[in-house]
Amino acid sequence: MSSLPDTFDPYDDATQPAMNIEHYAETWVRVPKQPLFRRPVTLTEITGPTRLAAKLRPGDNDLAHPYPDKPRAMGQLITVSGRVQDEDGRPVRGTVIELWHANCNGRYIHPMDANNPNPLDPHFVGSGRVTTDDEGRYEFLTIKPGAYPYPNHPTRWWRPPHIHMSIFGDGFMSRLVTQMFFPGDPLNDVDLILQSVPDPAARARMVARQIPMAEMPVLNVMGFEHDIVVRGHRQTPFGQ
Amino acid sequence: MTRLIPTASGTVGPFFPPHFFRPGDNDLTVIAPGAPAAAGRRIHVFGHIYEAGRVPRWNSIIEIWQADAGGRFAHPNDPRAAEADPHFMGWGRRASEDDGYFDFITVMPGGYDDPVSGARRAPHINLSVTGSGLMRRLTTTLFFPGEPGNDADPVLGAIGDPALRARLVLGTAASPRVSHGLAAYSIDIVLQGDGETPFFVD
Ligand SMILES: [Fe+2]
Repeated sequence: MSSLPDTFDPYDDATQPAMNIEHYAETWVRVPKQPLFRRPVTLTEITGPTRLAAKLRPGDNDLAHPYPDKPRAMGQLITVSGRVQDEDGRPVRGTVIELWHANCNGRYIHPMDANNPNPLDPHFVGSGRVTTDDEGRYEFLTIKPGAYPYPNHPTRWWRPPHIHMSIFGDGFMSRLVTQMFFPGDPLNDVDLILQSVPDPAARARMVARQIPMAEMPVLNVMGFEHDIVVRGHRQTPFGQ
Repeated sequence: MTRLIPTASGTVGPFFPPHFFRPGDNDLTVIAPGAPAAAGRRIHVFGHIYEAGRVPRWNSIIEIWQADAGGRFAHPNDPRAAEADPHFMGWGRRASEDDGYFDFITVMPGGYDDPVSGARRAPHINLSVTGSGLMRRLTTTLFFPGEPGNDADPVLGAIGDPALRARLVLGTAASPRVSHGLAAYSIDIVLQGDGETPFFVD
């Protein structure tokens, strides 16, 4: 067998979000009522696409200044960088990361956000895609997203600035879609999405770390480091 | 050895970038646009996805993953990976349309003797759903009608009730959109309510 992860335990519910959230209306009609079935893990779950880079054509890691002949996007320039690792702490190499977020006004480039009264920014692309390097590292240059209101319920709340990330990992069972939050934002404490994760330590791991200013190579760019762990570990030698 | 804990999932939300989808992302038979086609019998797998009350769920993201026509995976965890079809992608993605419609072009997957569980896996397609309102993805597995191996498949067998198992077996209705001239297989994915699809612990 290979050196890739071959064991994928069910997630610990304390470290993953609740599926049903009282004031998040979309959960009411989309979360199954029947309990989920446990299935054995077989080859089909411990494998996954290895050639996504050919299909998805990554290479866009500059959301803030995507058109060299035009001005850069409005907003605070930031880098978002980090490592993708498996549960054994080994780097997940060559995996595709997709990232998308609102502009500095809290508006997405998306038909679903067409009625947002805040303006679009013609110089902001809103999304990017890269593959991790041999150490599992990734880096994006972008702008800090604005907060936006969750609109649908009488008990509305502000969604704190956040960045959506989609990571494939080495197999079907390591697939992860998550959100990254910014340290110190008071809106983090009232966000029903972030707060739906019961374990405080697991919530803290969804919040990026600000890189000290002195360590940043460019004066006007704020750096955020965000490491990601995807599911999967190797069987211990005495495990079978 | 210290074990790291997987990062918490979060909803994909309603704003997954439309341009992340390109033509051909839902075609598993090529690894890149214009690349040679995979071996095997090409099929069209389509369906509709619904939320509670049989309301079509649009803007869901459906991803699938399956073995090649010979029941192999081009992945290092498969001991037979060297024999896997180099032209088969095995993975596809598609957003559901306004009426919940989604579809994929693929090849009929092969069954295989599973080296992990020791069981025989019937031909199947793994499917996951993400979207707004889903804090974690939902996963299920689709099977083919009339396959003698279905009865002994350990994943389909994890569902005790035959009526629920039947919901994971593809039908043979023709697609209302396009024929591609291929054998068509259909499935309703019901997130909640009457006819709810059985999903598995991820
Ligand atoms: Fe968002």
